[in-house]
Amino acid sequence: MNALLAVLWKDLVSEWRSRDRLVAMGVFALLVVIVLYLAAPPGAGPEARAHVPGLLWVAYLFAGVLGLNRAFATELENEALSLLALAPVERGWIFLGKALASLLLLLVVQAATAVAFALAFDLDLWPVAGRLAGVAALGAAGLCSVGTLFSAIAVRTQYREVMLPLLLLPLLVPVLLGAVRATNALLLEGTLPWPALQLLLVTDGVFLIVSFLTFEVVLDE
Amino acid sequence: MSRNTLLLRLTTAALAVCALLWAWFVWQAPIDSMQGPIQKILYVHVPCVLGAYLGFALTALSGAAYLWRRDERFDRLSAASAEVGVFFCTLVLLTGPIWAKGTWGRWWTWDLRLTLTLLLYLVYVSYLLLRSFTEGSERAARFAAVYAIAGLAVIPLNYFAIDLAGGRTVHPENLERGSLGAGMGAPFALGMLTALAAFAYLLVRRLEVGTLRAELDRLEAETARSEA
Repeated sequence: MNALLAVLWKDLVSEWRSRDRLVAMGVFALLVVIVLYLAAPPGAGPEARAHVPGLLWVAYLFAGVLGLNRAFATELENEALSLLALAPVERGWIFLGKALASLLLLLVVQAATAVAFALAFDLDLWPVAGRLAGVAALGAAGLCSVGTLFSAIAVRTQYREVMLPLLLLPLLVPVLLGAVRATNALLLEGTLPWPALQLLLVTDGVFLIVSFLTFEVVLDE
Repeated sequence: MSRNTLLLRLTTAALAVCALLWAWFVWQAPIDSMQGPIQKILYVHVPCVLGAYLGFALTALSGAAYLWRRDERFDRLSAASAEVGVFFCTLVLLTGPIWAKGTWGRWWTWDLRLTLTLLLYLVYVSYLLLRSFTEGSERAARFAAVYAIAGLAVIPLNYFAIDLAGGRTVHPENLERGSLGAGMGAPFALGMLTALAAFAYLLVRRLEVGTLRAELDRLEAETARSEA
């Protein structure tokens, strides 16, 4: 547990000092919003509205993958990753610390992206802000759990930036589907469908357990 | 005769016999009264599904066995079954749409089974990419095993996800007793046997390549050591 807090603190402090991941993710998400706005059907009719939840999650996903790609890149400098692996603690806690740090960064970017979306697509998100944040957090938790695991793998392969999305996207379908369904119902009808939340919760749980247990092996060098 | 050569000969013989009988029975099978001759694609499509699922299940199981025992042979089995599984799944994804175009009138629908199979295919293609992009056989083996296990864990989740998305099942149900017309059972049964024989043959071949490659790596490392 102490290891979790130590890793989380270290990641947040180093991010606060450089702010490179957060800025890169934020600017990238903003660019994605602009591209999606230009690509969406013109006008604010129902056809354009129906796609907004899906587009929002595309922006979240791209920003998340960009951030996760950097999660372990800094650990490669000065062999910090090997030193982390040598620490006499359960490696699952190191994983949770890294994943939580990525999750917190992604949540900040998600909030900013939602604001940009509301402005671009002329949405009133304020009445559903709390519930939208909850759905975003559930989706982000699924993304960051397996994302952190595969980031630790991808960073030690060739073409590391290419490898992460290739590994991650085919496995993220349940997270994305649940999140898009829930966001869809929330933005268009103002309700939260329980089956979609159930899917998100179960997927998050499974991904967390699998990643927590297998991270041990990934760091094993 | 080494064990591998014996296995190879046995599987080759089984494959040849099954394939010939299968081709004959498919030729002889009656033309479906509703779908016409295109229904005969299913004698290829369904057996290939068996090969694909068998390959993917074996990949994850031998991956887990590798993590448990750290025996290289499990890793070679895992890599070989992933490649053979992807080969069969490619055939499934090629024959399915051809049949669908003739019967449903469109190449693809986002049906539960079609989507699941496509996702599974992408997971194992990524698995093979991960293997080829990772340097060092021990590291590649560990990473690949973790990925194969995660890929297996996501299957039931995908099932619920696509069900939730309203992926209507237009795909024909599994064959029930008596649902096949007269003369259609034998080509299916022989198709399954042929797929099994082809699976075994390709797996043994691929395992042999894996073993030789490992041997080559060992010899090269030895040479490099003695030169240094």
